[in-house]
Amino acid sequence: MKKFNKWIWTGIGILISIMLIVMSLQWSRNNVDDLMKWHNSKMSPVIMIPGSSATVNRFDTLVKKLNKGKALKNQHSLVKVRVTNDDKLHITGQIRQGDNEPIIVVGFENNHDGYSNIKQQARRFNIAFKALANEYKFNNFKGIGHSNGGLIYTAFLEKYYSSYSSKITIKRLMTIGSPYNFNEQSVHHKTQMLSDFIDDWKNIPKNIDMYIVAGTQTYNSDGLVPLGSVVAGKYIYQGQVKHFTTVSVSGSDAQHSDLPQNSQIIDLINRYILDKTQNQQNGRKNDQSIGNIK
Amino acid sequence: MDRLLRVSIRVYGSKAMLILRDTLKVMFPIMLLGSFAEVIKAAFLTPTGFMATLFNITKWLPFHRDLAWSMGVIFHCTIDMIALYGAFGAAYYTAKVYGRKSAAAGVAGLLSFLIISYQPNSSGMPDFNPRLMSEGMLLSLIVGYLCGRIMVKLVNVKKDELFQLIKPVSIIIIFSAIVNMILGLIGRFEIPTYVASFVSQHTQINALFYVLGMGVLTNLLSWMAFGGPFTNSPTFGDSVSLSNMNAALKAGSSWNVPFKFTDTTLYHSFANFGGTGVVLALIIAILIFSKKVNNRKVSKWAIFPAIFNNNYAMMLGIPILFNPILLIPFLLAPLVNMILAAILLALHWIPAAAYPVPAGTPGPLIAFIGTNGNWLALIFGAFLICLDVLIYMPFVKLADQVVEKAGDDDEEI
Repeated sequence: MKKFNKWIWTGIGILISIMLIVMSLQWSRNNVDDLMKWHNSKMSPVIMIPGSSATVNRFDTLVKKLNKGKALKNQHSLVKVRVTNDDKLHITGQIRQGDNEPIIVVGFENNHDGYSNIKQQARRFNIAFKALANEYKFNNFKGIGHSNGGLIYTAFLEKYYSSYSSKITIKRLMTIGSPYNFNEQSVHHKTQMLSDFIDDWKNIPKNIDMYIVAGTQTYNSDGLVPLGSVVAGKYIYQGQVKHFTTVSVSGSDAQHSDLPQNSQIIDLINRYILDKTQNQQNGRKNDQSIGNIK
Repeated sequence: MDRLLRVSIRVYGSKAMLILRDTLKVMFPIMLLGSFAEVIKAAFLTPTGFMATLFNITKWLPFHRDLAWSMGVIFHCTIDMIALYGAFGAAYYTAKVYGRKSAAAGVAGLLSFLIISYQPNSSGMPDFNPRLMSEGMLLSLIVGYLCGRIMVKLVNVKKDELFQLIKPVSIIIIFSAIVNMILGLIGRFEIPTYVASFVSQHTQINALFYVLGMGVLTNLLSWMAFGGPFTNSPTFGDSVSLSNMNAALKAGSSWNVPFKFTDTTLYHSFANFGGTGVVLALIIAILIFSKKVNNRKVSKWAIFPAIFNNNYAMMLGIPILFNPILLIPFLLAPLVNMILAAILLALHWIPAAAYPVPAGTPGPLIAFIGTNGNWLALIFGAFLICLDVLIYMPFVKLADQVVEKAGDDDEEI
């Protein structure tokens, strides 16, 4: 009887082992497939976050202007993700086949101003980001944040990004008119948010090319956000990121809420944020046609 | 072998060994249940755990968060604070062996270790060094032993005990506080990251010897109840693992990775079946060859946690800790495994484990999953277990003899 028992247990052991082996083989194959898709992915989206009181449609004009004059196959598709207060995602638009640089806008139902709202929006952005990363399997991306969107980006990078950093790189980031010190002109009066950001500046990934863009309608303000508050971002990013550039833009459309339509800024985005390849394809084609003429 | 037997019998009968055995005996059931809780939490209820990813447990099991939370509580208060129990037990049984009232000594040992591992923090709440608590069992046993001796020396049984205790306790408190300060000055070493940087900066052959040496060191320290340089499960965050994985993903297979000999490809893939010292092989060896009912029972209980690379039950229950007979196979078996694996890797018979593996993956499956299902790696792992059982066999038989002979000697006296 004892012998018999022993055989039964051995049999069960072998059965479970075989099952685990088969299951783990299956899991491993799927997992490596996924990883390869992600690793060899050519997609590199631009993820934009609008400011307070703005919806996911905030960048429509900007995207239209970015696509202007480009051949259809080089245009950027626009996907909009709206995160409602129950943490659910509502996605509209889709990525055109073969488009490696789509523009994804993430907006929030609760789009109010204030530090506690920004923290909550950063958490919700993280939910959206995780879903986007799983869906589109990109291994790098570029970020643009207008106004409070830049603050949400900063909070996201400091608090949530570390769990992706081994798989997904953020190559470039541009914040446009982001009030890093809210309405304070001087950094001698640091808001709670700015000092929190400065406390965690070590969490900012080192490989970013960072652009802080300020609008200057008057000499020290874009009509809403003081210049000092925008450039206070240097206390968070400068010295930590690879490259750090501050640009101030004046002239027409330099008022705070006009900034995303400002042609200077669109030029900056074209030049510094978007990948060269998609633009260069035009150039290469031109070269070829020149070759043909010869 | 005969000399080893004689030495072992003498060690087995010594007072220190007696104290140690009694201490471990008390700790065994607590840590056994703690290891169950840890395995259930890490492998079954954490979304990244092995069973959880395979069977999607966290997707369909109701209340899995609450269950994981309570398992975590059990784990943190048992295995994660193992040194506390060691300090109490060692002090208690030291006093008992020398024939004194022992509860006071136990409390003194506990007090001393709490002082040593205390870390002041800004909020003023009690906060203890987690590393000392979970990996400092060796220190706690020494501390407990010393406290027991001090209590024995300074407390006279014949007198009224109440005020006598002040003298030994104040000595213990002062010395513990000094030790605490010294430990604070030394700070903590960060060896695991050092492994990665060494492997990436040196030639393959140097890296191989380094990993072998570190593996032996890990096992030795683990035998001495002290945390070693290698963690218990492979990590994929370090630069070496990442570049291996990226190379494998680029090439579509892990045959030609830049760093062939790392802690992941050798130690975790082939030398950590059932936890440090290939304890899974020891369990099998005991179940086949040992006649001691106690050891067989401990081994049966230890199977479940050992499958998921948790060997606390065996370390305390057999016990392996400070056991001179089992030290030899405990170091030898993993070393042999790593050397054979390195040879096969060098000969291009098996690819290197480069793909990520879920936490708590059973030892023999780590290489299999890490190579994305290379059958030879799996068969080789099974072969290594058989080999390790054979390595353990003579020592298991010898350990049986020691217990018998030592038991006889006791009776003769």
